[in-house]
Amino acid sequence: MLWLCIRLPQLAREALADERTALERLAGWAYQWSSLVSYASSEPLLWLELGASCALFDGHAALLARIESELAQLELSHVCALAPSPTAAALLTRDAAQRAGGQPPALTKAQLRAQLEPLSLGLLDLPPATLAALAASGLRRIGEVLALPADAIARRFEPGTLLYLRRLCAEISDPRPAWRLPATYRARCEFGVEVRTSTALLFPLQRLLLEFQGYLRARDCAVQRFALELEHYRHPVSRVRIGLSAPGRDAAQFLTLVRERLHSLALPAPVSALRVSAHEFAAPGIVQTDLFGNDAQPLQQLQRLIDRLHARLGEESIQALALEADYRPERGWRFTAPGRATSSRGGGGGGGEGSSDVANPSDPPRPCWLLRQPMRIEAPRELLRGPERIESGWWDGGDVSRDYYLARTGEGARVWVFHDRCDGAWYLQGLWA
Amino acid sequence: MVSEPPRIDPRALTLEQLSRLCHDGEWRRGLREAAPSGFAELDASLPGGGWPVGAVSELMPEAMGIGELGLLMPALSRLSRVERYIAWIAPPYLPYAPALAQAGLRLERVLIVHARSAQESLWATEQALRCPAFGAVLSWPLGIADKNVRRLQLAAEAGGSLGILYRPAEAVREHSPAALRLRLAPTRAGLTVEIHKCRGGRAGTRLQLPLPLHVDSDHIDALAVHPAAAARA
Repeated sequence: MLWLCIRLPQLAREALADERTALERLAGWAYQWSSLVSYASSEPLLWLELGASCALFDGHAALLARIESELAQLELSHVCALAPSPTAAALLTRDAAQRAGGQPPALTKAQLRAQLEPLSLGLLDLPPATLAALAASGLRRIGEVLALPADAIARRFEPGTLLYLRRLCAEISDPRPAWRLPATYRARCEFGVEVRTSTALLFPLQRLLLEFQGYLRARDCAVQRFALELEHYRHPVSRVRIGLSAPGRDAAQFLTLVRERLHSLALPAPVSALRVSAHEFAAPGIVQTDLFGNDAQPLQQLQRLIDRLHARLGEESIQALALEADYRPERGWRFTAPGRATSSRGGGGGGGEGSSDVANPSDPPRPCWLLRQPMRIEAPRELLRGPERIESGWWDGGDVSRDYYLARTGEGARVWVFHDRCDGAWYLQGLWA
Repeated sequence: MVSEPPRIDPRALTLEQLSRLCHDGEWRRGLREAAPSGFAELDASLPGGGWPVGAVSELMPEAMGIGELGLLMPALSRLSRVERYIAWIAPPYLPYAPALAQAGLRLERVLIVHARSAQESLWATEQALRCPAFGAVLSWPLGIADKNVRRLQLAAEAGGSLGILYRPAEAVREHSPAALRLRLAPTRAGLTVEIHKCRGGRAGTRLQLPLPLHVDSDHIDALAVHPAAAARA
C-alpha cells in the first residue's frame, strides 16, 4: 500500500464545522484518484491510497504531479507526502524539509525508515508525557526511538506507543475509515449555448440520468423522488419534481417521466444548465420477469403507468376506490391512492385489511353511477322500487333524512332518486347503469 | 349464476405442452381469446364466446343508466379476481364503490383516471391499453376519430386487455375499426343488445338480456304517483 497524505493548513484556520465540510468535499474530489479516501477528524489531513491506482495514472510521480497541479488550481496551500503507511505519511507532512519539497518519496519500508531516522522526536504524534519521557531518556531522533527493543517500549511507555511506532514503520496494518459516496446526489450540466426547446434538453438529460443511474447502482439503492432543476439566465430556476410510485433506478424510466413532465412545462426562458438532485434513497425493488423473460411483474408495469399518468396529467389524475362505513350514500366511499393492492390471491377467509372492501350481502342494492352532487329534479313519474329510508349523520351536522326509490325516466333509464324529508324536494343521486 | 370460465393455469401444464406453447406464443393467444360476458345468449353470439380480448369494443347506449355497465359487470368482476386491473378513463359520473363491490369487483383493482381534455383521455386510454397489468380498460372519449380508434385497437392488441369505448348512440352511423360494436337500448326487464359489427362473427343479431335489479318491482308500480303528498301531510 502506498499512502499519500495531504496536509491543508489553510483549512485549519476555518471553523471546525466548515473544515469538516471542506474536507468532505475534497474527499469527493480525491475520489477520482483513489477508491480509498480518508480524512482526519482532528487535523486538516486527507489520505489517499495510491498503490492501487498508480498503474492507472502512469505511476506515482505522474499521479502526484496531477494531484498537486489540481490542488494549485483549487488555490489550496498544501504539503504532500508519500509513505507506505498513513501514519508515516501524516508525520512526514509535519516535517519542515518535506514542506520545502525536494525530499524523494518513501516508497518502501526501508526508504521510509531511512527518511524517518534523522527526524526530530517532536514530530511523533504521541502524548506530551510520553514525548517528555523519551526526551528525558536522552533520545532526540526518531531513529533512536525505533532502535529501542520493543519489549522495553511496551514496559516503559503507554500501551499505545508501541502500536503507534509499528504503524509508523508500516509493520502492522493501519486501517483508516474509508470515505463513502455522499448521502445525497447532485449533478449539474452546463450548456455552452442556451437551449430554447424542451426537446433539445432530452439529449443532455439522458446523459445526466445515465450518470444518476450509475451512482444509484454504485450505491445499490434506488430513488422514489428526485428533482430536476432548469437554470435560466437572469430568471429564477424552474424546478420539476419527479415522483415514482415505487423506488427505481432505471435511466430510461426516468427519462420517460421527465419527458412527460417537460411536455406539459412551458419554459419561461432559455435553459443554460440542468441539475439533477436526490436526497432520499430507498432499497431497490426486485425486478422479476415472467417465465418467458419479457414481462416485468404486472404490479411494476402498473406502477410505471401510474407514474406516467402522474407526470402528464397531475398527481390527482389517477385514483382508486374504497368503501367507507357511512349510511349516507355520498359518504359511503372515498378515493384512495392507487397501487396499494398487492397480490391477494386465495385470501378467501375475508379477514385482514382488505375485508372492508367487500360488500355486505345484506345491504340494499346500489347504482353503479353516482352524481357528484344530488341534483334537484321534478317528482318522478314512475317509481319501481322503494322506499328505503336513510336517516343518518345527525351527530356531525351533515344529517340526512331521505326516502330512496328506484325510478324510471322517460328515456327508459333507471335512476336512483330520493325524496328529502327535510325540504320535501326530489333529488337525483345515481344511475343504475 | 355465472359459470366459471376454463382457465389455463401455467403451473398445471406438462413440459411438452409448455414447450409447444412457448414455441408459437399460443400461451398468450389462448389467454386473450375472449372474456366470457356472463350472459349465455351474448356469449353464444360472439366469436370465442365472450368479449374480445386484446381488442377494442364499442358500446353505444341510447342513454346513460340503462345497464351499460351492468352488461360488463360479470366480466369485470372476474377479471378483477384474476389479479388484473380495471381502468375507468374519464367516466361521466362517479363509479360508485358500494355498487361495484356488490357486483363482485375487487375495489383495489379498480383505477379511475380523470382527464381534463379529450386529448388527455385518449392518451390515458392508449397508455392503459398498452399496459398488460390491465384486464379491462373502460373509456368515455369525448368525440373520437376512427384513426384514433385504430390506434387504440393496436394498443389493445399490444397490451392484451379488454378495451371498451363508450360512445353516443349516434356513432353507430360512423365507420369504426373496432372489433365489436354493440348498440344498447333499454327494455322493461333489461337491455336490448344489437350487434352492429362483429369481427369474425355475424352482425345484425338482436338480443334481449335480463339485468339484475331491472326486474320491475311489484308494489311501487301501483303507486304510479309518488308519495310526496302523503309525506307532506
